[in-house]
Amino acid sequence: MDAFLQQALNGLTLGSIYGLVALGLTLVYGILHVPNFAHGALYMVGAYISYYVMVDLGLNYWIAMLGAGLFVAVLSVLCERLVFHPLRHAPPIHDKIAAIGILLFLEAVVQMHWGSDFRRMPTPYTGILEFGGLVLPAQRLLIIVGAFSIMGALHLYLKKTMTGSTIIAMAQNREGAFLVGIDANRVAMMTFAIAGFLAAVGASLFAPINLVYPAMGHLVIMKAFVIIILGGMGSIPGAIVGGLIIGFAEALGGYYVSSTYKDLIAFVLLVVILSIKPTGLFTKGVR
Amino acid sequence: MLKLENVDAKYDSFKALDGVSMSVEQGELVVLLGANGAGKSTLFNTISGLLKASAGKITLNGEDVTGRKPSALVQAGVVQCPEGRKLFPEMSVLKNLWLGGYVHRRDKAGMKKTLEHVLAMFPILDEKKDQPAGSLSGGQQQMVAIGRALMGRPKLLLLDEPSLGLAPLVVKQVFEAVQTINKEGTSVLLAEQNAFAALKIATRAYVMENGRLVMEGDRDAMLGNEAVRKAYIGA
Repeated sequence: MDAFLQQALNGLTLGSIYGLVALGLTLVYGILHVPNFAHGALYMVGAYISYYVMVDLGLNYWIAMLGAGLFVAVLSVLCERLVFHPLRHAPPIHDKIAAIGILLFLEAVVQMHWGSDFRRMPTPYTGILEFGGLVLPAQRLLIIVGAFSIMGALHLYLKKTMTGSTIIAMAQNREGAFLVGIDANRVAMMTFAIAGFLAAVGASLFAPINLVYPAMGHLVIMKAFVIIILGGMGSIPGAIVGGLIIGFAEALGGYYVSSTYKDLIAFVLLVVILSIKPTGLFTKGVR
Repeated sequence: MLKLENVDAKYDSFKALDGVSMSVEQGELVVLLGANGAGKSTLFNTISGLLKASAGKITLNGEDVTGRKPSALVQAGVVQCPEGRKLFPEMSVLKNLWLGGYVHRRDKAGMKKTLEHVLAMFPILDEKKDQPAGSLSGGQQQMVAIGRALMGRPKLLLLDEPSLGLAPLVVKQVFEAVQTINKEGTSVLLAEQNAFAALKIATRAYVMENGRLVMEGDRDAMLGNEAVRKAYIGA
């Protein structure tokens, strides 16, 4: 039972990071109807910026996280302005090709600047908490609390504020949004900024218990895609719940089945769920 | 207040609007008659800025607004209530209405006042205000759409086929609302296939065929016109 709870805790940690990354991806998909393959690269850049601010500049972990969030938010908006916006009238395949282009470009730049070594990012929170046999490193607790607070804040922003609602409005009916005077460019830029911020903060939270290297975004973005396909493309609760499902499945599967195959579990789950419910778990019919 | 001069609009190479010249004066209720595919919605979307005019000029109170963005036109007071309503289906009725006032978002007090006015005009929306807009009946959704457009405080309201697919009793209610809105000082451009009901409340009317305006006249002239009666009223 202890082992189970321990793995459940690990699953919660993983799931909250996956959820953060998938949220950004699903928001962008809802607005643009384009799968942003470059999202994983933004995640990776976020980790590097965090690493740079903390290790090379020697600043505080929180400043590093915030700095990475803001930097990647701007980078994400630049991607929208310079790449996706000019392609808005092009067939969807062009956006997909461009997204892969951004991914390769960002990876090459990072590799040129930092090399391809694996780096370890330190954390100021090295303590370990114990609850009756359960071991919880402080960094993991920080990940869980941090990720869920950000999700909560995002939820309030999208539901309670007028500017936040424009993102949802645009996802639910694009023309209707234009007709009430919502500016498409503004919403697109805002969505990309939020998505970039979430990816970078997710990366900064997760980096101390993982490694930082140029290809670190690959698996994360593939899993994020699995999550938004499971949860329904464009669905916000779907991204969060989907993230948790994959997180738990990986942690428990890795422990009870085989840790060698833990990265396979997400994709097996994808095949299973898509054969039972092809529209995803949270979609309400086809729009 | 609104004036179109020789406006063309194209879908790729297909010319959907061909040399359209028309006007709506302050306080008028102008009806646009035409069969499906005549180009009424295209005309509306061109005025709203969703489509770019490929030729010609659109002016609003003397100011050239050709090629402006939809958001700029809403800001200028041209608000469209589109065919098919285009609501935000998973948001509550209240949220839909509230978003209709997006361009006035800094003026919370003004928005509240307009909202009260809208809810007084359509009391049923007050009852259903917390339900998702997509769960309402067609007539109620049409009221949400009109209400949402009113929240933008239009000077000119473009109403595209508000009676489409509604029961006759609801149609009557919708037309009464349109008439009230017009009497309160909003100029209205109304596209309709329900010609008789529309002409009854109209000041003037245009008839559209194949992307061209083929006829213009005031209410009585239109109601008395043999060709109009044959084609659109069926009597």
